[in-house]
Amino acid sequence: MGVLLNRIIKGCVIAVSLALLIPWFLIPSYWTFKTAFSRPEDAWTWIPSSFTLQNFASLAAPTLEDYFKGHGMRAAIPIPISQAIRNSFIVSLTSSLISVTIGFLAGYALTRFQYRFKNFMQGFIVFSYTFPVFIIVIPLLMIYRTLGLYNTLLGLAIAHLAYTVPVSTLMIRSYMVSVPKELEEAAMVDGATRIQALIRVILPVSLPAIVTAFTFAFTLSWGDLLFSIILISSPELYTVPIVVQFFLWGGEIVDPGGLAALAVFIGIIPVISYGILQRYVIQGLMRGALRYG
Amino acid sequence: MSMRAESSYHYLYVLPVILTLFFIIIIPIAYNIWLSFYEKRVGEEPVFAYLNNYIRLLSSPITMVSLINTFIYAFTSVALKLLIGLGAALLLNTKFRGRSFVRVLSIFPWAVPSYIAAVMFWFNFARDGAFNKVLSLAGIGPIHWLGYDHAMTSVIILNIWHGWPFFMMGLLAGLQAVPQELYEASEIDGARAHQRFFYITLPLLKPVMLTVVLLSLIWTMGEFAQIYLTTAGGPIDRTLTIPVAAYRLAFTGEANISLAAAYSVLMLPLYLLLIFVTLRYMRA
Repeated sequence: MGVLLNRIIKGCVIAVSLALLIPWFLIPSYWTFKTAFSRPEDAWTWIPSSFTLQNFASLAAPTLEDYFKGHGMRAAIPIPISQAIRNSFIVSLTSSLISVTIGFLAGYALTRFQYRFKNFMQGFIVFSYTFPVFIIVIPLLMIYRTLGLYNTLLGLAIAHLAYTVPVSTLMIRSYMVSVPKELEEAAMVDGATRIQALIRVILPVSLPAIVTAFTFAFTLSWGDLLFSIILISSPELYTVPIVVQFFLWGGEIVDPGGLAALAVFIGIIPVISYGILQRYVIQGLMRGALRYG
Repeated sequence: MSMRAESSYHYLYVLPVILTLFFIIIIPIAYNIWLSFYEKRVGEEPVFAYLNNYIRLLSSPITMVSLINTFIYAFTSVALKLLIGLGAALLLNTKFRGRSFVRVLSIFPWAVPSYIAAVMFWFNFARDGAFNKVLSLAGIGPIHWLGYDHAMTSVIILNIWHGWPFFMMGLLAGLQAVPQELYEASEIDGARAHQRFFYITLPLLKPVMLTVVLLSLIWTMGEFAQIYLTTAGGPIDRTLTIPVAAYRLAFTGEANISLAAAYSVLMLPLYLLLIFVTLRYMRA
């Protein structure tokens, strides 16, 4: 009797919690999704009357009608949105590739070699991981102006290393702890140099960690707004976070459909990659980012 | 190869990471401090101005207002993220049909970039947007979400929505590390559910909980995109937090970079203190 009662109570608690939890994360996302797939006249209704992909098409190839949206304010967006997406891709790809490459070397070395300042170095990486970037962005702007990195995609990608390098290094390092030393030692006994052993033996077995680190790095760079709006000034180099601001005019959303489609497109990339790598993401987060030393 | 040569060559592996971080984090911090002692007037070369920028900031209301706003924003937000995250973690730690689906789904808000979450909330905060539509079902009239009275609540809601899954993931991993035998033993001893929670779960969860809270506190206090894209610190200074204030000083109004630098330097100890507490804690 008691057992049955317990099960009923437990079931009720689960049902109530789910009833609270699911609307909490679904309602705020619903409007964006719905608007992305509906016609302009349905932008502010619960259920759209018809389904359309025109909003997504308008990101790559806007029609004349698209330009006139928001009383013509959509036409005030200085570059094609596809170009902004391309710029963002270039920046995030560059930044995450650099960070995974150097993070792999450092992550490996920190688990294999003895350094005099090892604790200090690891502490410094975690420090960089937690450091709020708004403090460095203004001086970085001044430094970039003298170095000629201001208003370049490469400069922006380098600035994003502030996010991408700590996370890649910490994640790969935490994974390397579990890769047995004997693996590369056996290869080195067979005459391979350390670098050869690293590439042929360690790299393949660390692939899950590398892919997860890459996903994290890419997503962090992909989601940055602050560096973009401060370090880029020419319209042809605008990234998505800069272009997004042109969709709001006097507190009103210019072309809700187009904006929603853009938000879905930008958001879906990290969502899908995290979804696929969910297990590794949680493991990596727990081992690499929440614990060190 | 001698032992010594081998070990100095080992530094080459870590050097790229250390140098990169030194170049984009340490040098800008140092340069910021240097900048903060200079004054730049329109059309003139910058001149050394001793502590003028600091004196100006300490007598300016922006310093206190931004500090208070940041504390309200970050503490409320972190407390509620912890509460929701803990609830969701406890829920997802029990077995029920569709659990893995809910688990995947609940990472979704956190996986969306922060500035995209802000854009999504444009649709929710709008006059005819999702939130007012939901409220109208209950017969409550439209709320001006980003108006003076509700702006702080609104940016906090946005931050909670985006950030709670981080707590859920951390705490869920923590829950799964609790040895099952403890629960079984306590059940035999006749402990009730709430007793098990307060005497077993909570104490064992404390380390991971503290780490997640500290990290989230630092990041929430540094959050820029969400506030910048929704209220930009307004209306008036209602949601002016530290990062937004630094941006405002540097790029709007008189666009005084040196003053903004001094402002960041003034706030730096607060963040450093939090980071060092976190670092010590994560190491233990």
